[in-house]
Amino acid sequence: MTFFRSNRTLLITIAVAIIIVFLATRGMSAPTAVSILLSGLTLGSLFFLVASGLSLIFGLMDVLNFAHGSLFMLGAYAGWTIYTNPRLILNTAPLGFALIAGVMLMPIVARKISLPRVARYVAALLAAALVLLSVRDFPLQKLVAFGTTVSGQVVATVDAQESLNAMLTRFALMLVAGIVLSFAWARREKANEETEGTKGTWSRIGAMTGLLVAALVMLFGRDAMEQVVLGTDSNLRFVIALLVGAGTGAGLGALMEFGLIRPLYARPIYQVLLTLGLVFIFDQVVRLVWGPAGAFMQMPGWFANTGKECPAPNLIDWFGLHCDAILVLGRPFPSYRLFIILVGVVMLIGIGALLRGSRLGMIIRAGVQDSAMVEALGINVRRVFTIVFALGAGLAGLGGVVATPFLGVYPGMALEFLLQAFIVVVIGGLGSVPGAALGALVVGLARAYGDQVVLTGIQLPFMTEPFTGSPAIARASTVLIMVIVLLLKPTGLLGKKEG
Amino acid sequence: MSRKNLPLLILLILLVIFPFALTLVTGQPIDKGAPRFWQGLLIQVYILAVFALSYDLLMGYLGILSFGHALFFGTGAYALGILLKYAHWSLPAALLAVVALTAAQSLFIGLLSLRVRGVYFTMLTLAFATVGFILVEASDFRNWTGAEDGLHGIELPDFISPILNRLTFYFVALAFAVVIYLLARRMVDSPSGRVWQAIRENEPRAISIGYNTLWFKVQGVVISGIIAGLAGALNAMWELSATPQMMDSGMTINALLMTIIGGVGTLIGPMLGAAVLQLLGYTLNATLGAVWQLAIGILYVLLVLFLPYGIVGTWRNHGASWQQVWRERIEKWMGTDQVTKRGSSNVKRET
Repeated sequence: MTFFRSNRTLLITIAVAIIIVFLATRGMSAPTAVSILLSGLTLGSLFFLVASGLSLIFGLMDVLNFAHGSLFMLGAYAGWTIYTNPRLILNTAPLGFALIAGVMLMPIVARKISLPRVARYVAALLAAALVLLSVRDFPLQKLVAFGTTVSGQVVATVDAQESLNAMLTRFALMLVAGIVLSFAWARREKANEETEGTKGTWSRIGAMTGLLVAALVMLFGRDAMEQVVLGTDSNLRFVIALLVGAGTGAGLGALMEFGLIRPLYARPIYQVLLTLGLVFIFDQVVRLVWGPAGAFMQMPGWFANTGKECPAPNLIDWFGLHCDAILVLGRPFPSYRLFIILVGVVMLIGIGALLRGSRLGMIIRAGVQDSAMVEALGINVRRVFTIVFALGAGLAGLGGVVATPFLGVYPGMALEFLLQAFIVVVIGGLGSVPGAALGALVVGLARAYGDQVVLTGIQLPFMTEPFTGSPAIARASTVLIMVIVLLLKPTGLLGKKEG
Repeated sequence: MSRKNLPLLILLILLVIFPFALTLVTGQPIDKGAPRFWQGLLIQVYILAVFALSYDLLMGYLGILSFGHALFFGTGAYALGILLKYAHWSLPAALLAVVALTAAQSLFIGLLSLRVRGVYFTMLTLAFATVGFILVEASDFRNWTGAEDGLHGIELPDFISPILNRLTFYFVALAFAVVIYLLARRMVDSPSGRVWQAIRENEPRAISIGYNTLWFKVQGVVISGIIAGLAGALNAMWELSATPQMMDSGMTINALLMTIIGGVGTLIGPMLGAAVLQLLGYTLNATLGAVWQLAIGILYVLLVLFLPYGIVGTWRNHGASWQQVWRERIEKWMGTDQVTKRGSSNVKRET
């Protein structure tokens, strides 16, 4: 009996959901209903990838990361760029690596030198000037290739790359800027904070060298690497894109947490305000570099066959045929969407395994409950924060790449998915990953049914004609669900944190 | 008139004579060319200053972070637009209706949302604002709101038309900003205002003293909402249209930006922040071109990191000590400070 009482919210929700689903699908043919269900699961899977990170980050660090949707978008753009034409990344990543490598020098510098305040401000300004000088007249927009790529051929941005000498100058300037910035940042207390010892210093130097070597390899080998990437099979490129997208998300997330959010732990409201500023910055950057329009990604080969034998009659046959659609109860359903569902489920299982089965997961779960206590037990909670932030951001980036063949890339996707992710975490409960999964399910299904209502109408039991609504109603419906949940149970269906 | 208010009074006088001064300086007539352009720019500053002020009442004095403030602004704009254009009401009646409408709306939203705290309240306000934006942009209501294009062609009486009589509009906007500022200052210095600040500092303690904090918070939301709605209505009068951009998240972010730049919890700060943002935006747009919004974003992040109390806030915190330090330096340099005057007699006493 106590099982029913303690889980009563969940059970009531499930009961209400079943009733709603039953009413909504009456009068609908079985294939349509299943099609809507699968579409709902697809959307839900994408929302889960964004929302799970958001939920974990809030649960552990009490930071509501508004920039999560932007990380999703940036992962999508990064994956799309690698897939379509990696020239942009091969030319810009070395500069970024140079700057980061320069700044990483900071603790080593801080141990010996601590400049007076005025000198530090001057150094910071000098570093900013060097950065601007380094990127002066950089043909950023020209490096982006919008055409769909054909294996083995380079898309028409042929003379947009600068000469190697020019790029090396920029690289050197960025490196110097990074080093000057580390001088500007170095203070006595910063050296003591990172008491790494000699071993730590050597590993730091090793990391810096690794970054610089990678950057130089990318610069010198950029033409060759471009050809190699474009020459590989689209499926392998897609896998690379997935890794790059997730990596971009994770890297950016770690950088954000370390450089921007960590200094503001004493002022939590400002953490939120800062992430809001980052949303704006990322949006502007994307619009400037890739243009405001957006683009599509060519479907990877596994999901692209549209020959005579397609759509595949069932899942087993699909493995041989690689059709773009599979017959589900007689109706063709895009096979890529099933892949999205698969990724979502795999990630859910993966995160669950991480949280329940590993030491890091145990620390995370403990930190969600009481982070001060975890720190009191001697665990470096700050480092776990960075790891969790990177993990959540990486998931969002992965979600972005996974969404791209389905939805394309466009600057608006950041805010769109951010809002839906908020709705998901509110419904599911901040800090809970199963809650995020449940919320994603609810929101995804609501969106799918909403789209169906807009398209063909739904036969409600007491109306003579099918109920149709404008697209606005479909969009507003999920927001209204969030309002209702916030008013009735602010901590969400499976939430652990008290408001 | 206390000495503290002297700088503000001087600023007000400067703003009043600014159009005439500009005419004298540039030699152009007051309703054409540069004077006209700058009047327009300053009118926008006044409108946004009032909007930022209303946001600061919530954020700085009540400690409530709302991400849906653009809802009130947009409602004021659209309500005025619809009443003037389709219902053909007179301007005073429409303005009164805007006050009533935004009061009812903010009362409703306040009573609903203030039952939850912190992050949940913020997200709830975001949700309400999103619903508002969706409704205003929906094609269902095209006949009333003009959907994505917005509501255009609002007609105003000639004497206050921003096209024909921009100078009148300038003074009306300036008077509006001044009156709202004085009202807000009166409210903030009143006993209710003290309770607001108590709620911001430590709500459980305020409750334990015996204040019904929910009522005070609702009060704050309603007052803030009405002011924002009036600012929105004035904006609709200025632009002679009401567009969905007046209700989207960009507008709320603008308010946030202005409050942070100027200084949270100071009333004059956000107004100054509005001026800084508008003028800075205009200058950056002229110099940097397409990158100017990115520059503003980076500036915002730097402010949040390094100057969290904004211009006015930092001045109030450190201004007195900076004044002291610089006064001492100047005196030392001029030889009129106490140490030099006493000079050698000091040294003798020590030995």
